[in-house]
Amino acid sequence: MERYSKGDEAAFAELYDAIAPRLLGFLRKATRDPFTAEDLMQQTLLHMHRARGSFIAGAPVMPWAFAIARRLLFDNTRRRRVERRLFSDAPADDNRRTYEPTAPAALADELLHVRRLEWRLRQRLDDLPESQRTAYRLLRQEGLSLKGAATVLGTSVTAVKLRAHRAYVALRAVLRDAEEAS
Amino acid sequence: MSPGLKARVLAAAAAEPSPTRAAVRRRNRLISLVAAASGIGAFVLFAALISGSHLLRLGGEVMPQQHVERPVWLVVTTAGGAGAVAVAALWLALSRGRSMLGRSPRRLLYGSVLIPVSLLAWKLTSSIAFGDAMVAWPDRPGERCLSLSLLVAAGPLLSFLAIRRTTPVQPALNGAVLGFAAGACAWIAVDLWCPVAYVPHVLLGHVLPLFVLAVAGALLGQALLSVRRR
Repeated sequence: MERYSKGDEAAFAELYDAIAPRLLGFLRKATRDPFTAEDLMQQTLLHMHRARGSFIAGAPVMPWAFAIARRLLFDNTRRRRVERRLFSDAPADDNRRTYEPTAPAALADELLHVRRLEWRLRQRLDDLPESQRTAYRLLRQEGLSLKGAATVLGTSVTAVKLRAHRAYVALRAVLRDAEEAS
Repeated sequence: MSPGLKARVLAAAAAEPSPTRAAVRRRNRLISLVAAASGIGAFVLFAALISGSHLLRLGGEVMPQQHVERPVWLVVTTAGGAGAVAVAALWLALSRGRSMLGRSPRRLLYGSVLIPVSLLAWKLTSSIAFGDAMVAWPDRPGERCLSLSLLVAAGPLLSFLAIRRTTPVQPALNGAVLGFAAGACAWIAVDLWCPVAYVPHVLLGHVLPLFVLAVAGALLGQALLSVRRR
């Protein structure tokens, strides 16, 4: 990013290779829609491209990229909500609820149990408030530090700890219920 | 990942030229000059229309047969202190430290509280040493200082928003701090122009515009600094 901000045009391809996979993973988990995720990733990288001149030398790039992606995700969700309201005849298109794992009937019971559990966990994660869900994802799935996640979320480290803790408690409850049921 | 995604992103970036760091620095320097010129220009225009082109007013008639005058050292002290607070406010509002996401919300909130409190405290403690300035001025409730502050700070506030361009985290809070910084700059002009240190006047004419500018900054920040899909 440092080279790109100075005007080295070829550095953008390297920047893409360095951050696109993680960014796309984050957006795919958040949207559950590969097309929306790719579109948002493209928008995020274009935003970084437009803002390259204001890049601070030595500043960490990933928290910045995640923060832009998160804002674009909000914007996208809001736009979809407005579109749905305007075209209420259209079938519901909530991309956060489209995940329906299909376990082939031929698979063993154990695999089915794991798939069901995974589906319940995803559903529980989706039901969490956005702030808790994103805190959990940034810490557990993207491997950001507490400070990095706090920067992306625009809050304090203590608040991130609290949000992530609440997410862990909710997910642990799903695991406990599944254990008791089995 | 779709096979053509990288090519699509690179082509979209190539089709949309973006300024390099050197170009952004040049642009920001130009915007800063415009901000300073607009603030000073508004001050000169206001002084020409309201007080016969007097940019510095040391005193005036409190009421018939009672004239109050500020010593020059008091003007220098209050305006100098306000200048120091304005520099600190500009540093807080415009520099982003070592992160592309700017300063933490906690620091911005502390700054939002400290800027008006320190300006008011400095003005009052400096004026206490000169008792006459604290007397009530019945014909100066503060509406002219209010309009002077807003007039002088409007250009700088818009310029600061143009320098900042976007912020993916807390755009409204960042905008509010930019408003306080623009208000702190305008405070210097008001300090030079207004000899009144009567507390209700200072609260209405000098402190209230800081909060008006902060609210305007927050609204404009939310509208202009937010990251949005194009």
